[in-house]
Amino acid sequence: MNIFIYDSFLNQKKYDRLLARIETRITDLGLNGKISRLSLTRNVPEIIDYEIKRGAKTIIAVGNNKTVNQIINCLAGKLVPLGIIPIGEDNNGIAKSLGINSVEAACDILSARLLLRLDLGLANQTYFLGNATIANQGTIIDMNKDYTIETAEKGFIQIFNLVDGTTKLPAEVKVNPADGILELVVSASDKKIIFGKTGDQSVFKIKNISLYNPRSELILDGAVAIPTPTQITIKEKCLSVIVGKNRNF
Amino acid sequence: MFNKQGQGGTVSEFETVIGPSVKVKGDFNAQGNIIVEGMVEGSLKTQGELQVGEKAKVTANVEAKEAKIGGEIRGNVKVKGFLEVTGTAKIFGDIEAGTLSIERGAIFNGKCQMAGALDEIKKISKDKEN
Repeated sequence: MNIFIYDSFLNQKKYDRLLARIETRITDLGLNGKISRLSLTRNVPEIIDYEIKRGAKTIIAVGNNKTVNQIINCLAGKLVPLGIIPIGEDNNGIAKSLGINSVEAACDILSARLLLRLDLGLANQTYFLGNATIANQGTIIDMNKDYTIETAEKGFIQIFNLVDGTTKLPAEVKVNPADGILELVVSASDKKIIFGKTGDQSVFKIKNISLYNPRSELILDGAVAIPTPTQITIKEKCLSVIVGKNRNF
Repeated sequence: MFNKQGQGGTVSEFETVIGPSVKVKGDFNAQGNIIVEGMVEGSLKTQGELQVGEKAKVTANVEAKEAKIGGEIRGNVKVKGFLEVTGTAKIFGDIEAGTLSIERGAIFNGKCQMAGALDEIKKISKDKEN
């Protein structure tokens, strides 16, 4: 059975019409299943553990990056695949990277069921599918005790498993979430890189690093903040995801 | 080698890019290609190609399969294949390379050894002995 997990922000009245449209489309495609709505009293691990025990075929995140991040932290290492229906334009970079650009496309992609086994980044005990970001100033990056990276400029440090459309990387750098490697990008500007300009960027391929910044937290998938020091590693091919043909890798 | 986008060639996939604002300290070992535009202190080794930009400062012993040096290196440079030293380069250390090109304007203070030449010298010495 397909399990649709609706994020708690979808309980707002303004989303009723959109959700009705999704449900109609899902029914037309013969993908209908059970809908679980998140709330203050119903958390994701509880729901997913229960549904997997009952033989869930697919877990579908209906929401944004935060919803996806919550769900991958319960699905990591399991065989049940993740599907995504992105709601709204903001904070949906993960879906866009996977080639899921709209609600309509998401339903069709679920129906086509093109499955890939992807890597996940692991920051201490929390997984991330997209990226991890921290402020540049005051951050100490230690690469396996072999070497350290220092930067005096203001900016931000990002660790990519999957790159979204808002971040422009140098043309020589390819990010693939199934290659067993994370990309560490040090950008010496606090402005997001737009209009094709990549500015002053450094790129390192990594498998294991530690980050420390007493003044700043590490943000996973643009949604979850965790304190430093943080050990970041990669868990290879530990999540099955339904992806679109127009994915960026 | 070292083709850049917009110059009509294909784009080489670089594993590591060390930008102008970054300083790397320690033993940096890589398997793939490296571009250095910032600072490196310690040692720098790669199985692939190395490109050192005009404003880069490398205080390290350097080893690579092939290299193009345009910046400052204080340390020994060991390249298995082709080493290209451009006019903006400053090298203070010894060079060991398979094949070598030094452009006018480059500063090089050190000894230079070429793997092919060493074999030739050994061959000539042997012939003289016989």
